[in-house]
Amino acid sequence: MRSDCERMPALTFATMGTMVSLRLGDAEHGATALTAAAQQVETVFRRWDEQFSLYREDSELSRVARGDIRLTAASESLRDCYALALDWRDRTQGVFTPHRGDGVIDLSGVVKALAIAEAGIALTDRGLRNWSINAGGDVLVCGDALGHDWVVAIVDPADRGESIASVPLRHPLRAVATSGSAERGQHIWTPRNFEPSPFRQVSVFAADIVTADVLATAIVAGGEAALGDLAERFPIDVLAVLRDGQLLATPGLRKPLSRTTTAIDRFSSASSSARADAPARPAACERRASR
Amino acid sequence: MRARAVALATLASVSIVGIGWQLGTQAIDASQNLTAATGGSAASTAATEAAAQAAATAKAAAESAAAAQTQADTANTAASAKVAADAAAAATAAADAASAANAAAVATASSPSGTFTGSVVQTQFGNMQVSVTIANGAITEVTPLQLTNRGGRSVAISNQAAPILRSEVLAAQSASVQNVSGATYTTDGYLRSLQSALDTAGF
Repeated sequence: MRSDCERMPALTFATMGTMVSLRLGDAEHGATALTAAAQQVETVFRRWDEQFSLYREDSELSRVARGDIRLTAASESLRDCYALALDWRDRTQGVFTPHRGDGVIDLSGVVKALAIAEAGIALTDRGLRNWSINAGGDVLVCGDALGHDWVVAIVDPADRGESIASVPLRHPLRAVATSGSAERGQHIWTPRNFEPSPFRQVSVFAADIVTADVLATAIVAGGEAALGDLAERFPIDVLAVLRDGQLLATPGLRKPLSRTTTAIDRFSSASSSARADAPARPAACERRASR
Repeated sequence: MRARAVALATLASVSIVGIGWQLGTQAIDASQNLTAATGGSAASTAATEAAAQAAATAKAAAESAAAAQTQADTANTAASAKVAADAAAAATAAADAASAANAAAVATASSPSGTFTGSVVQTQFGNMQVSVTIANGAITEVTPLQLTNRGGRSVAISNQAAPILRSEVLAAQSASVQNVSGATYTTDGYLRSLQSALDTAGF
C-alpha cells in the first residue's frame, strides 16, 4: 500500500469534447509551481480547441470550412498544421487523410496529439521530469511514476470496463494512442475501398504522440496491409484487436519469454535513420533521451 | 485458434523467406559468411542447414522466384541464413508456433548454443547486420545490429504483428496503472470510464 504522500492525484479538465487527465510528479517543485504548470497545460489545450475544433462555429477551421476565410489567408499556424497533416497523408500512402468525406479539412486527426505534444514540451521546459498527460485515451508520459514505470491499460473494446493489457510506457516508446472503428464512426474518414475495418481497435506505441495517433488511425482505416507496412517502416509497437476479438501484436509487446526484435531495439539501433520519421514538431521530454 | 496461429506463422515465415531470398540474391559482397562468435563450426553448420531448409521452403512456396536461384553461392547462403533467422523470429512470435519454427529453421545436427553475429551485408538498400542467439539448437533471439536504410527510413523485416493470446501480451511489473488508452471517450463517457475510476483513486 502506498502512503498518502506517495499518491499522485490526477488533475482533470474537459476540452476538445473529451477529458484530459494530468499527473505531475516532481513534488519538490512545490504546489504553486505544479498548479501553474497544470494551468499552462489547460491553456495549451484550450488554444488548440478554439482554433481547430469543427464543432465550434467560431473556430478558425470552421470559418475555413464554411469558406469565410480562404486557406491562403488563414493563420500560419493553421496552415502549418494542415501541412503536417498532409505530410502524414503522404507517409501513410493516403490512408490517413486530413479531409472529411465531403472534402472539408478536418484536422482532428492530429490536433489533439499536437496539443498533447505541446503541453509536454511546456512541462519539460518548466523543468518537470515526471508527468503523464492522457487526453481522451491518448497518453504521453515522461520519466516515471514515483519510481515505477508509467503503466497504461489498453481498453477491451468488447467491454470498456475491462482491459486487455497493461503495458509499461518506457523510453523511447513513451506515447500510446488507440483508435477504434466503432465508438466514433466519423473519427476515421477513409475506409479505403469502403469496407469496414478488420480491426475493432488499434493501439500504437511510439516515441511521440503524433506518430502514435496518426498511425493508429491509419491502421484502422487501412486494415492489415497498413498494419504490416507501417509496423515495418516506423519504430512502433502495435496491439490490434480484430473484429472477432483475436489480438495481433508486434514482437515488442510480447512477454519477454522469447524476446525477439522489439521496436525499441529497432529505434535504438536505427535512431539516426528513424529520426527522419519523426514529426515536424520536436517530441517533448528530449532531455531524458539519454537515459 | 492454434491451427490458425500455426498457419499464419507458417505463412509469415514463407513470405519473409521469399522477400529475404530476393534481397539475398541482390547482396553484393560474396564473401559474407555468418561468423560464429562462439560455438564455431557447429553453429555455422546449423545456420547453413537452416538456410538450406528455408531456401527449400521458399522454393516450394514461390517457385518462380526461387527456382531460378538454385545455385547457392556463398553470398546467397549467408543472406539466407539471416533470412532463416528472421523467419524463425517471426514464426516464434506467432502463438505457440515455436516448435514449428524451430523445425523449419534450426538444424537438428549438434544442438549448438551461443550468440552469433553475422557480418555486415551490403544490400541495395544499405548495410544490414543481425545477431542470432541459439540455445540448444533453437533460435531464441534475433537482434538487428544494423538496419537497412531506404530514403531515410529504416527497413527491417521483423516487426510484423502476429496473433497473440491475451496471456502472452507484455505485462507491466508494477501493479499500479495510471492511464487507460482506448478509443476516445466523450466528456460524458469519461464518467463511466476506467480512466475516471483511476483518476478518482489517485493511483
